[in-house]
Amino acid sequence: MLTRRRFVGYSALSSAMLAYRPLLHNGWGQAPAQRPLRLAILGSTYRYQSQMQTLADRFLVGYPYDGEWHLPNLQVVSVYVDQLARQAEAAPSPYQLAMTGAKVAPASSAKGTAGGLGRQHAVAAQPAPEKSEQMSDLSRARSHQFGFRLCSNIPEALRCGGDRIAVDAVLTIVEQDDYPSNDKGQILLPSYDFFQQCVQVFEDEGHAVPYFNHKQLSFSFEQAQTMVKTANRLRFPLLAGSSLPVTWRLPDVDIPLGAEVEEAVMVAGGYDSMDFDALEALQCMLERRKGGETGVKAVQLLEGDDVWAAGKTGRWSNDLLSSALSRSDTPLGLTVLDGRTQDLVASGVLPQLVKNPAAYCIEYNDGMRATLLLLNGAIMDFNIAARVAGHGMVSTQFFLPPPPNVTDSACLAAKIEQTFQTGSAAYPVERALLTTGVLEACLTSRHKLNQRLETPQLAVKYQPPAESQYART
Amino acid sequence: MPQTKTSANRPRLAAVVTAYKRLLHPQHVVDRLLDGYGWAGTFHHPAMDVVSLYVDQRGEGDLSQERMDRHPTMKMYPTIAETLTLGTSKLAVDGVVVVAEHGTYPLTEKGIMKHPHFEFFEQVTKVFRDSGRSVPYFNDKELSWNWDWSKQMVDTSHQLGFPLQGGSSLAVTWRVPSVEFPSGAAVHEAVSVGYGGMGSYDFHGLETIQCMVERRKGGETGVEWLQTYRGEGFWTAWQQGVWSQALVKAALCRSSTLAPGSATFTDTFPSTEQMRALVPDPVAYNYQHRDGLRCTMLLLNGLVRDFTFAAAIEGQAKPFSTQMYLPMPDGRTTLASFFSPLVYNAEQMFLTGKAQYPIERTLLTSGLLIAGVDSAYQGMQRVQTANLAAVHYQPNPESTFWRS
Repeated sequence: MLTRRRFVGYSALSSAMLAYRPLLHNGWGQAPAQRPLRLAILGSTYRYQSQMQTLADRFLVGYPYDGEWHLPNLQVVSVYVDQLARQAEAAPSPYQLAMTGAKVAPASSAKGTAGGLGRQHAVAAQPAPEKSEQMSDLSRARSHQFGFRLCSNIPEALRCGGDRIAVDAVLTIVEQDDYPSNDKGQILLPSYDFFQQCVQVFEDEGHAVPYFNHKQLSFSFEQAQTMVKTANRLRFPLLAGSSLPVTWRLPDVDIPLGAEVEEAVMVAGGYDSMDFDALEALQCMLERRKGGETGVKAVQLLEGDDVWAAGKTGRWSNDLLSSALSRSDTPLGLTVLDGRTQDLVASGVLPQLVKNPAAYCIEYNDGMRATLLLLNGAIMDFNIAARVAGHGMVSTQFFLPPPPNVTDSACLAAKIEQTFQTGSAAYPVERALLTTGVLEACLTSRHKLNQRLETPQLAVKYQPPAESQYART
Repeated sequence: MPQTKTSANRPRLAAVVTAYKRLLHPQHVVDRLLDGYGWAGTFHHPAMDVVSLYVDQRGEGDLSQERMDRHPTMKMYPTIAETLTLGTSKLAVDGVVVVAEHGTYPLTEKGIMKHPHFEFFEQVTKVFRDSGRSVPYFNDKELSWNWDWSKQMVDTSHQLGFPLQGGSSLAVTWRVPSVEFPSGAAVHEAVSVGYGGMGSYDFHGLETIQCMVERRKGGETGVEWLQTYRGEGFWTAWQQGVWSQALVKAALCRSSTLAPGSATFTDTFPSTEQMRALVPDPVAYNYQHRDGLRCTMLLLNGLVRDFTFAAAIEGQAKPFSTQMYLPMPDGRTTLASFFSPLVYNAEQMFLTGKAQYPIERTLLTSGLLIAGVDSAYQGMQRVQTANLAAVHYQPNPESTFWRS
């Protein structure tokens, strides 16, 4: 058994190793062919296993890609952590402290929150940092180790302390920290604010750079639309989304490009705050259908017993639900009790297992139907089945490798890097735009007592990339 | 291809197992035949019936009564012979499923548990001989902890002319990425990196390598010698390049459970110093095939919790590599779905009367496990393996791993 003392001892050694990038390059025989792109990373919180830590670290220490440990030809030059800025704002000023005779407080550890870290539930066999370390900010330590500038505001991060924009790309990871929610239950993540502050710098200087926005563009479709329009107007590549569309699939299948898709069912459970991810993964497959994406006509979010009632009336295909569930490796209930396999649909056990089911019912303009079923209590993974003309049912599991590695985020890092290096988004931002809108409309439906809502604003049309973009090599 | 059977003509199977308890191999295998499982996008119900069951060790946690209550067509018998004859005087089933993993059995002086694969086999084949008829035989995992017995099992299957199929689920599970070893390729060196202990999970690592390299140019030619490395000797061999560090790194880049070498990081590539700190008891079986191929099976407990493979293939600029993905019900999943392709391939054997992959693969890997433990027992001496040099075979040109 590895003791904590030994582990810490070696980690000190490793820090020196990690900081010395040329050594790493030599070790892997990779010599950068050109000047590394300068990267600014902006996010909410840099604590252990936050989305920011998981993704930003990949641009500091590399990540597994295509069978190698890939070291991106990118240099992280500046980082902005919203949590630190907000803490600084809330803290008493040195003047106030002096007046009250109080001493300057040491850097306080971050407040822990329940949301936004939906993937920590699984078993982690590795020695994880102490609890206090897990919740505390890592950006200061990373800044010392890797030599980037830790900035107190976003313009400073883009200008690296100078008076001109001094980065070649911007990576943003806005996630739940302790942001408030609205009456629809949406967390008011400041993705749009981050974007607008960057755009202000871009416009002031007449120079814009590629921009990545992690997960949904905004809680508000209107803001998301503005973001996409702004990127088009200023002609900078904007990539957005989660890792679910680009991770490995079990099996390795996609909707054949241009095929007629009649209906799709996505079934998910076990994770908090991943409905955007599930909807985006659904969308990344359905956008490949004949004619490409035509937009969404109406949505309805059903909850509780209404979900089972709607299933009985054929609101979605039970065959597709059964097919999607056949891909799950995480059935709960009797499987947990004694290891047995279960046909969750045929056994009729779903209503017993799932106390609070939700169905996100989506009607597309071209007549296709799709449903996301959130079945917490039945399964703990993400699976899809679609009925495709001439191909029968196509089904797969979106593979989420376990914490702490969560290597699906390495698949996303590769798409981000590709976007930054080529200056062209790896896949259309309209996918994230439409998904942002579908999610908001579904939550509005819930707020309006689960009414069906017409969504003329969601007439988002786009064509998918001809090549599948998920991890296969 | 599966034969179409009428409902009256479904193959009848006898299951002979060590212990039928939660998450033990017998539960995974027999439950799939009884209850079905997710396969190719539907909930698949095998077109065959388990009609009889022998459980060697019952006691606390035994699930067999619950399974018989739900599946009354399955009856328990007190002996293996009766399980096969259904209490009559002659063989009365169309296939035998033997799962002799787990349970509690004595250890050999070298530390391998004496799982009763051979004892079960002897009793089953006695019924075959007495009845003048043999049926397809599935044998989970290795053949036997004893080489002579392993060899005898294969020889008997040939003499009596029944298909014998077994091995590890590693050979047939998902691969991430979903790639197959190119048929007929020339390969210089191959490695697998896994976890678990000697005498158990080493078998999975050996099958991981063998299901790939058996597809190389000329097919399998046998193994001349094997040497085990542990402890400080492992790290010396690592530094000396007894096996390729580049291939181990390539395999590790396919892992999704690489232990972060530094506190507060979640996914980093470890330095050798970090590996040494993370892996207190490394194990390597380094062995030489007769055609010159060198293979190394590594168990790096503390560094990974999955099985990965890498090989240097002639004409390919970088190592060929993949992960043999096990959805492991240790908190990562609830269902050990890697048993699904193992059972599916067994079903195919029962339906077609043909083994889906050669039993010689399992014979070789069973022998390599024994040689690995022998080498360690002899103070990490290289052991000559004349017995394994004689194991030659050609692979099934069709891929049999999970892809659909």
